[in-house]
Amino acid sequence: MTSQHIIDPPEDGHFRNGGNNQPSPTTLSIDLTINGETHSLDIEPRVTLLDALRERLALTGTKKGCDQGQCGACTVHVDGERVLACLTLAAQVEGRSITTIEGLADADGTLHAVQAAFLEQDAFQCGYCTPGQIMSAVACIREGHAGSDEDIREYMAGNLCRCGAYPHIVAAVRQAARELRS
Amino acid sequence: MTVHEMKHAASDSARLEAVGGRLSRVDGPAKITGAAHYAFEQRLEGLTHAVLVGATIAAGKVTAIDTRAAETAPGVLAVLTPDTIMALKTASDWFGTPPPDRPYCPLAREVTFSGQHVAAVVAETFEQAVAAAALVKVWYDETPAIVDLSDGNAGDGIAIDAMTKEWGDAEAAFAEAPVRVCAAYNTPREFQVAMEPHGLIARWQGDQLTIWEPSQWLDGMARTYAEWFGIPFENVRLVSPYIGGGFGSKALALAHSAVAAAAARMLGRPVKLVLTRPQNFTSYGGRAATRQTVAIGADRQGKIQSIVHRGVNETAVDGMWVEPLGSVTSIMYATPNFSSKQNVVRVNTVVPGAKRAPGENPSAFGIECAIDELAYELGLDPLEIRLINYAERDPHAKKAWSTRQLREAFATGAEAFGWAKRSREPRSMRDGHQLVGWGVAAGTYPVRRAYGEAMVKLLSDGSAEVESSSIDMGQGTYTILAQTAAETLGVPVEKVSVKLGDSRLARAGVTGGSRLAGVMTGAVYKAAGQALDELIGLALSDPRSPFHGLQANTLVVKDGRIASPRGDGPELSVAELMGMLGCEKIEAKGDTVPASFTREQRYNNYTTIAMALPHTEGDYSRHSWCAHFVEVRVDEDFGTVRVSRVVSALDSGRLYNPKLAESQWKGGIIMGIGQALLEEGIVDRRHGRIVNGNLADYMLPTNADIPDIQTISVGIPDPHSSALGGKGVGELGIVGVAPAIANAVFHATGKRVRDLPITLEKLI
Ligand code: FES
Ligand code: FES
Repeated sequence: MTSQHIIDPPEDGHFRNGGNNQPSPTTLSIDLTINGETHSLDIEPRVTLLDALRERLALTGTKKGCDQGQCGACTVHVDGERVLACLTLAAQVEGRSITTIEGLADADGTLHAVQAAFLEQDAFQCGYCTPGQIMSAVACIREGHAGSDEDIREYMAGNLCRCGAYPHIVAAVRQAARELRS
Repeated sequence: MTVHEMKHAASDSARLEAVGGRLSRVDGPAKITGAAHYAFEQRLEGLTHAVLVGATIAAGKVTAIDTRAAETAPGVLAVLTPDTIMALKTASDWFGTPPPDRPYCPLAREVTFSGQHVAAVVAETFEQAVAAAALVKVWYDETPAIVDLSDGNAGDGIAIDAMTKEWGDAEAAFAEAPVRVCAAYNTPREFQVAMEPHGLIARWQGDQLTIWEPSQWLDGMARTYAEWFGIPFENVRLVSPYIGGGFGSKALALAHSAVAAAAARMLGRPVKLVLTRPQNFTSYGGRAATRQTVAIGADRQGKIQSIVHRGVNETAVDGMWVEPLGSVTSIMYATPNFSSKQNVVRVNTVVPGAKRAPGENPSAFGIECAIDELAYELGLDPLEIRLINYAERDPHAKKAWSTRQLREAFATGAEAFGWAKRSREPRSMRDGHQLVGWGVAAGTYPVRRAYGEAMVKLLSDGSAEVESSSIDMGQGTYTILAQTAAETLGVPVEKVSVKLGDSRLARAGVTGGSRLAGVMTGAVYKAAGQALDELIGLALSDPRSPFHGLQANTLVVKDGRIASPRGDGPELSVAELMGMLGCEKIEAKGDTVPASFTREQRYNNYTTIAMALPHTEGDYSRHSWCAHFVEVRVDEDFGTVRVSRVVSALDSGRLYNPKLAESQWKGGIIMGIGQALLEEGIVDRRHGRIVNGNLADYMLPTNADIPDIQTISVGIPDPHSSALGGKGVGELGIVGVAPAIANAVFHATGKRVRDLPITLEKLI
């Protein structure tokens, strides 16, 4: 559920599905700048950035793993910083510069150093956490948190990978950080 | 580098692209750029969104559902309840057992577990469906639930006689043995937790149903949909191009799948339904909680005289799951006397299911801890006792191993780990305030085999296509099938494209039990061989061919060029030759199915698991093997356990692509670290709910929990296990990890924790 009300438990102790009628939402017209392009959207204020990307703009590279801010699969950049798109309303980021995995490589197809390193180190299996890992890794390096393996492990710990690609993700971030420094 | 250049760089060396080469994933570029569209990411005209309402009780009846508020909420198209959803037919199970002739309702009137779907809302947008689902009011008549195995009313359960394995007189031999250990080992309810949630898009066009759904088994699931709706199998198309992890959970069409498909039929519009993360903990089963008692009797030299094993796993009130707990117990060590029996106990849960190495995983936890306890009882090194009792042949099937490189795994792993430097006594190694412990355990997984088919096409531009309805959920199917076709056809790997995950393609059985690679490389090898034979046949016999009239029996194709083996005569590219022949394409559907199979048997081969070949068929017993060496560091004051080092030596036979196999092994080992230290579904005792059904409270290993892991392949090609000599990879890695960690924790602390996960309160 997207909304949470603080209410007393019912007498029998069961919370049932249900609650107050929610006010009928209005529609907002917003412009989002994503990967350098402007997209105009008419959406309800409750639409998350993640659902705007995936359901309205066909940018499905950004993944939904939990919709609760717990897995990192939905990581995108807003003004260069990593942000969880499932915990961000689309309307909040109007006028900001959003980068998703689709916008990371150069226009001519040249891969970002982190993308190339992920491929070379086999830093993924199913690939579902991967866009989030890569967006996090780019930010992690930019933040200066890729100086040691310890640091990489710690600052990449918000991106879960059930396939267990962690050691290879560390190797890929280490490699990309080195390449980007030189 | 561009994506295109990457592909070329990856195939620079011929060795890389051959079977056994370390080729990077061919589906990698799509996955790292966001271009890979997973199943329910398709864009469809008129798509609607469904959200489920789950029961808040674990047992009882739904007495009323008030849908009025939901029905009038903005954007709502339908509210489905047990009374309003269309009737479906009951489908057969995965053995293909004919179903009872009664209707199937995927929304429950009788609730048997918390979270069971009782209603669904379909709306124009996801947000509208979520909001309206919160307005559905459900009333229940609640009855007492049995919440888990420790519930006072759970009882001893039902004996599963098919699980009984016995030889000799195990109880008498145990009673007489001079050295004895006996203890109980428990594993909790665990979940697969693939990062991609379960979900689907269903679309009807007339009586043709298309389902975009992450799937480990397109043909099996298509069969279920066809039976639910009473339509021919051919009318159902399953599409699953990429799967965001499955780990056993995505092989079956489930109740939520039925709801979406029924809603789509009723509305005449495509419906997308994706389970919320909490619903992923209640809509399908994880690994059943298990209890085992392992008793081992040995002589004073450490030779095992008897093993007595009793196991229990939980199952559902309304469904049966047997987690075979004696599977490793009965084969790991030589013993003259053995007895294993198992019960299942019904509790109010969704039916448990397959999670990575079902059976072998908990089974190994019991026996591999017990043998460690026996080693300490005898004053022997844990590695030594395993060698003293090494099984030279399968003690249960009484057959020779096809290959068993377990001795090599122990030796190689011990050497790489530095096991010889271990001090024997518990609590004898420390580093500051950390107690250091080293533990070892072995693992195994049977080689599951099946018959398969594949389509291979050689096209006029010299490129090739491989087609199969099998899938890639991260194991590397796309890559190894490209390698197999490239090597067999003699064309460069970047000229091979592999199409998977569409049930319209050549059929495939279940992707589970680590069988897919062996089955599919065998089928592609055969189909590609047929295509090549056809090309060579045409080249020698067609008057338009420059090879026509050449006194050669055959031709060779290498790097996309065709010539005579002696090197005389012309040499040209496959594309040039096909141009001269006026040949658009050569198609070969190859299969490994016995020629005697009827149409019905072929259908069952792909849509049920009943036709799988036993791993002990014929003269051999076929298994993969491994040995894990683990270092843990336990904080003496706080009892926190960190795994600081892992070295694993594994025998998966021949590796089709070591780069990808290592990733899968490590993934299994990491899931094993989670199992040992973190993962536990916690059940609320009042209402039988999983209270930690989300990714923050059900703890998974994060990057910060995982050390460097070294994997070493000790396998040799096993011709009895598969066409190209591989055994299983995906499940093996996890088996034995949890006991290796528990054994290391004992070595560090002197405390034996027999109840997973090993959390700090159990060590203080
Ligand atoms: S989907 Fe946003 S953190 Fe999981
Ligand atoms: S690659 Fe599958 S979850 Fe990370």
